Amino acid sequence: MTIFLQTLADGIVLGGIYSLAAVGFSLIFGVMGVVNLTHGIFVLCGAYGALIVWQGLGIDPLLGIPLVMAVLFVVGYAYQRTLISWAVARSSLLATLLLTFGVALMLRNIMVLVFSPDIQSITPSYAFSFFRIGALTFDLVRISALGASLALLLLLALVLNRTGLGRVIRATAQQELGARLCGVNVQHVYGLTFGVSAAFAGAAGVIIGIVLPFSPPDEVPWTINAFVVVVLGGIGSPAGALLGGLLLGVASTMTSAFIGPAFPNVMTFLILVLMLLLRPHGILGNAFAGSR
Amino acid sequence: MIDRRLFMKGTMGAAAAMGVGATLGGGFARPALAQEKTVTIGGSIPLSGRAAETGLNVHNGYLTAIKYINEELGGVEIGGEKVKLELQMVDDASDPARATTLIQRQLDDGIDFYLGSFGSNIVLPTAAIVDRAGKPMVQTGGGSDKIFTQGYKYVFGFYPRATRQFLSTAAFFGSLEPKAKSFSVVSTNDAFSKTFAEGAKNDCTAQGLTLLKEYELPAQITDTSSVLSSIRATPPDILVCTTHDQNSLLIARQMIASGTNVNLLYQALGPQLASYREALGKYANGITGATYWEPGVDFKDKIFGDTKTFEEYYRRNFDRPLAYHTAGGAACIVTYVTAMQNAGGLDPAKVRDALADIDIMTMYGPVKFTADGDADPLVMGAKVFQIQGSEPVIVFPGEAAMGKASYPTKPWGERT
Repeated sequence: MTIFLQTLADGIVLGGIYSLAAVGFSLIFGVMGVVNLTHGIFVLCGAYGALIVWQGLGIDPLLGIPLVMAVLFVVGYAYQRTLISWAVARSSLLATLLLTFGVALMLRNIMVLVFSPDIQSITPSYAFSFFRIGALTFDLVRISALGASLALLLLLALVLNRTGLGRVIRATAQQELGARLCGVNVQHVYGLTFGVSAAFAGAAGVIIGIVLPFSPPDEVPWTINAFVVVVLGGIGSPAGALLGGLLLGVASTMTSAFIGPAFPNVMTFLILVLMLLLRPHGILGNAFAGSR
Repeated sequence: MIDRRLFMKGTMGAAAAMGVGATLGGGFARPALAQEKTVTIGGSIPLSGRAAETGLNVHNGYLTAIKYINEELGGVEIGGEKVKLELQMVDDASDPARATTLIQRQLDDGIDFYLGSFGSNIVLPTAAIVDRAGKPMVQTGGGSDKIFTQGYKYVFGFYPRATRQFLSTAAFFGSLEPKAKSFSVVSTNDAFSKTFAEGAKNDCTAQGLTLLKEYELPAQITDTSSVLSSIRATPPDILVCTTHDQNSLLIARQMIASGTNVNLLYQALGPQLASYREALGKYANGITGATYWEPGVDFKDKIFGDTKTFEEYYRRNFDRPLAYHTAGGAACIVTYVTAMQNAGGLDPAKVRDALADIDIMTMYGPVKFTADGDADPLVMGAKVFQIQGSEPVIVFPGEAAMGKASYPTKPWGERT
């Protein structure tokens, strides 16, 4: 029973990280219909940003989250208003698949040049702390990561549902033409959506950087995980990302504990295939029109 | 560490300074080297991708020896002629498919001699290609049994095959006082890790240790919490991780951060890296690993003179910390040069025969291969080190030991 409860707790904690890492991907897919294969790079940018904040500025990486988010918001906005928007205007949405894949390859190699291919670690003083409740053990950093994930997802939900920015994003996602007729600058909204997405990916990257060692090739798993999470939970909403992430995290640790530690990836892709066959819009369905 | 200068200086800078051709890109055009006889040594190496950290260390070893030979010695005497060496290593991005394409291209371009990549998964397919072409390869990056049991005649490795690599480590476990009784093994789904784990299980069992559990993880892992829960429920005396650098660091970090204690943690790769020890800080003390070379142990060498000269020359020219993979890379070149000299020329088949017969001392230590091409385990076997005071200290075998092993190690929370 202890093993089951420990595995469940570990899965929920892992799922919280998956959720935050996926929500930006989900938002772009939901609002614009763009499968952003640069997403993992944004996550890694957050991790490297945290490294700079921690080593260069001496600031605790968790306190550096707002700074990292601000920088990545600007990068994301500029990325959409230039490359993505040009690609969509000159070709089609499909072209963004190739474009974002190519940009990811280039940025990965630029990261190697800038940061070296060496494995990096962020280990603030609390990085190795843990606590116990009964027979269950909790890694303090991962619990902090779960807390930060929930807080940021809640923040995003509030932004989307309670602010003017959220309203125009939702309006544009639901009916682009209608939004235009109401005077919404759709291109600007798309840019903002990309910016918000990159900012949240960066925040996830900060947390991932504290939890895991990382190097430039690690961007790939975070894009794949994000894809599975949104297919599982539903596209375009923080709630969908949260649900998908938690389910993926629990499925992953349960598979590892009770089927075999070699099989979490098998289970991940099995879930992906089954969801695409049985419920392609995810458990919560598509929040927005872009991905329909 | 974020150090762009270091990376640039350590790789491209050094390569450019030596006139090394096409080190990072494609393109194998030979630079015009005014009437000088030059022998080209090719190969691929991970300068990017998952294996790049150690790949860079191996590459720097190659660069150091080539630079020393060309710039300090003005070349080497082979078959009565003064010959300079040209290195054409290409970045395989830690990708076996890319590596095979690049090596085939080098073969098509007429390169006769090859150095190895890093990682058995890359060395294995590239070894098959060069062996089929009848061109020698000397490598310090792959130890999987499959590299040495397919009947290849032209492939020589600086490590004993994986199932033989654990002999000295198992003997170390057997020598521990108080006696260790049990062990568990964590491996990942890749050629080296799996075969190394097989060797570990056999050799530890032969030492009288009982195997409690074995865990095989995917090649790339992001979470080991469920494995660690199982280890906490049934803790072995010794936990053996036959994992690569990044996975080893992740496992160690999660063990510390979940209070998963064992009497001794052994990791095949990872603890040899300065970045690993830096990331874990005081918690690294007590972790053991294997090394094939340690700075400060002096050997005679026909190119560098001795190990000390090699170390000093490396540190003058490179910023990256000196690792045993770096020394192994340099020793590959020393071995190649000796074989070419013994063969009296640059005929690949004759150089291959000379490599098979080689029995020399280098700055890395003695070099001798078995009939299958892997390192002779008695001559080139691993030494066991334990991190003490944040530095690796050899603790086994006794004749090479620089300190005494601490066993059982303290729980994570009590380490200083």
